[in-house]
Amino acid sequence: MGYFLLRRTISFILTLFVVSAVVFAVMNILPGDPALTILGLDATEDALAALREELSLNDPIMLRYLHWVWDALRGDFGISHSFRVPVADLVAERLPLTISLAFSGMLLTIILALALGISAAANHRMSGDWGVMFLSQLGIALPAFWLSILLVMLFAVKLRWLPPGGFPGYSEPWAAVRALILPTVALALVQSAVLARVTRSSALEVMRLDYIRTARAIGFSRQRVLWRHVLPNALIPIVTIVGLQFAALVTGTIVIENVFYLPGLGRLIFQSIANRDLPLVQALVMLFAAIVVTANFIVDLLYLVIDPRLKTRS
Amino acid sequence: MKRLPVNFLIGTAFVGLVVGVAALSLIWTPHDHTLLNIRSKFAPASPEHWLGTDQLGRDVFSQLMTAARNSVVVALTAVFIGGGIGVSLGLLAAAIGGLVEDFVMRLADISFAFPTLLFAIMLAAVFGPSLTVAVVAIAFINIPVFARVARASANQIWTREYVYAARAAGMGRFAITRDHVLPNIAAPVIVQATIEFAIAILAEAALSYLGLGAQPPAPSWGRMLSEAQTLMYLAPQLAIYPGLCIVLAVLGFSLLGDGLRDITDPRLARER
Amino acid sequence: MIGAYNLTVAFGAAQALRDVSFEVHPGDRIGVVGESGCGKTMLGLAMIGMTPDAAKVSGSLLLNGTEMVGASENSWQDQRARRVAMVFQEPMAALNPIKRIGDSVMEPLMVHFGLSRKQARKRALALFEEVAIPDPEARLKQFPHEVSGGQRQRVLIALALSCDPELLIADEPTTALDANVALRITDLLARLARDRTMALLFISHDLAAVARATQDMLVIYGGDIVERGSTADVLSQPKHPYTQGLLAARPSPWNVREIGGRRKRLPTIPGSVPSLANLPTGCRFAGRCPFEISRCAAQKPVEREGTICHLPEAER
Repeated sequence: MGYFLLRRTISFILTLFVVSAVVFAVMNILPGDPALTILGLDATEDALAALREELSLNDPIMLRYLHWVWDALRGDFGISHSFRVPVADLVAERLPLTISLAFSGMLLTIILALALGISAAANHRMSGDWGVMFLSQLGIALPAFWLSILLVMLFAVKLRWLPPGGFPGYSEPWAAVRALILPTVALALVQSAVLARVTRSSALEVMRLDYIRTARAIGFSRQRVLWRHVLPNALIPIVTIVGLQFAALVTGTIVIENVFYLPGLGRLIFQSIANRDLPLVQALVMLFAAIVVTANFIVDLLYLVIDPRLKTRS
Repeated sequence: MKRLPVNFLIGTAFVGLVVGVAALSLIWTPHDHTLLNIRSKFAPASPEHWLGTDQLGRDVFSQLMTAARNSVVVALTAVFIGGGIGVSLGLLAAAIGGLVEDFVMRLADISFAFPTLLFAIMLAAVFGPSLTVAVVAIAFINIPVFARVARASANQIWTREYVYAARAAGMGRFAITRDHVLPNIAAPVIVQATIEFAIAILAEAALSYLGLGAQPPAPSWGRMLSEAQTLMYLAPQLAIYPGLCIVLAVLGFSLLGDGLRDITDPRLARER
Repeated sequence: MIGAYNLTVAFGAAQALRDVSFEVHPGDRIGVVGESGCGKTMLGLAMIGMTPDAAKVSGSLLLNGTEMVGASENSWQDQRARRVAMVFQEPMAALNPIKRIGDSVMEPLMVHFGLSRKQARKRALALFEEVAIPDPEARLKQFPHEVSGGQRQRVLIALALSCDPELLIADEPTTALDANVALRITDLLARLARDRTMALLFISHDLAAVARATQDMLVIYGGDIVERGSTADVLSQPKHPYTQGLLAARPSPWNVREIGGRRKRLPTIPGSVPSLANLPTGCRFAGRCPFEISRCAAQKPVEREGTICHLPEAER
């Protein structure tokens, strides 16, 4: 198992480097002249030259890449061109909100998906099952941003129970929580559709296995068998899917922040696009991509922990 | 006809509707979707304007029709390009095997670290948002998906008896791939393609909503929704129609894909 | 005392078990013998209330006076493990792979009797010793995939015994095991039944195992009990044509010996077992029986002297 762990870790680090290379290449090589992209076509020659100096654009490309990576590893992501402050500061300021949203979104997703998926499997071929299947099919087709708009129209415009968007800051914790309710629900509803389906099929697979029959034969109630025997075993393949879902989570968080005007990293990215702030976009994209890669890596490790059969194998 | 699964039939119906309307919009729409008529803005549904008008007096129905065209074109183009590259890579990997296979698949996997949105953001920051950006971003994520499907299916074909026979007879790997492997992986690839169409439409809508896809005046469902969001208090109905269209299109392709899968792989159909 | 009276398990028009009646007393070791598909597994399942959802159970099944035909799932849960326990055929996947063996055996003790972990652990150890699992302390901590098939079957038996049931049903407990492991498991089951004064229902198509482990036996064909009696009697002097055919088909020095340069063929019962839906309505063995007369197919014979047949004993 140690060998497997080592290989996987090396693979992880390598992937991160390749990803960073791709990001760097796209942001620096494709535009031809980043300075021109940032300042636009009307910029004067002097302004362009000054910017090129500032961003060390005259150095050879490999050197710039290595500089960037080296600085990034020490926490220095450069200066945002449009905000005129270090990128790290901007990120630190908005990170808590994004993390709160992503975390609660993922939590709610998992709870919903597991509950619905297991119930559907337990009610196989009966109304509960078809209902969940139908809902999940719908959930997959539903755009998150449209669902958000519908939720806002119902809960904010019509009923006025919750705010339609924006974030009031952390000074009033209850108001802050209220502002995050609809975004979290919107995020979770769409994501749980896929996960519920996977949970259901995984649970159905497990339910057919012999040890479930043993558990029934030993007098355990259907409930106990379902939640204590089926679910833990069904989780193993689900964990992989959860890992893959991180990519969707990242996308979803960015979209939801924009729908609800939440001042997190997702909105920051869009402001940076509007401002053609390449260094900022570069840093943020790298950050998000790194999160996705890291999440997948952690999921792989988690797999080893959960399934005792793997410990003895590789 | 009775033997065909329900989801296949419903899927085909929805897809037919959307694609048909998109094609129709090329030659006819009830009104010119760009025609402004501020005086009759926010008009309710009427025989004249089947779904009413928007904030600039434009006919909503015509806009939806033209936007359908946009979604369909982006989805088809992106999936074909991404799928074409992906399938080629997958076939290459399966045909050559060994280190080349590992390397190619690893390369394809890098794309998994970049969700479509993230890639689109990068491209939009560099080139400015446009339809092309959306197409490229969506195509990009399709490459590893198709590479995986193609490689897995191709590897199975390579172990078949008739392929051994062909190799023994001196047939080259390229010829075998073209004549034996490709026809036999068509089914899973097509199934995957329909599902990717669904995903592509959803992705395109999200990108347009965020302003990263088709730019005005080209209409798109996503952007119609983003405009409608600011008008929620005045005209809630404008936020409903484009969304329904998106759901219809995505659901259609998604059900169609499921149905095709049930048809071509009956083993899986039994326990869905 | 556990008794089945006219127990019938039907799937629509097809009957997997028809009017089966027998009684089981503490300490009885009864073998249930028949080919695949004859209904013996269904008999075991019916006695623990785990017949498939599509099956309709009718007749009477009394577990110490409680009628279990038509009983709710909840009532069955009370009876399972504590009154009736079952060990199934395939030990390979029958234990929860992510749970340590000790935890699996301790679970029913903690759930059904409210024992603490320490108490349950002591009981589990005692059970492991009872089923002759070597090095029981170490086993408790292991996972199912870390022990052999034979050991897994012993663990499953321990699990079945954990709540001291009155009846242990073993459905083909040795079929998936190596020959000598099978022998030991067979002997183990017989010993457990004797030591605990527990009833044992040994369902198998392995006549040798049944001969070793049981005092009485039932022969099942097509859902009917075609013969019953003490194991010794049935095996040495079978009365029903099916049992006779079954026993004659066992390879032995007498029927494979070369005679005058030509080897004799192993006698077999002509034809094959019809599917459930196609069984004759009278005697199930009609169509394959060498002694068949005209009313066999239409009329079910009455049980006489431990067997059901229209012909009197002398003529078989």
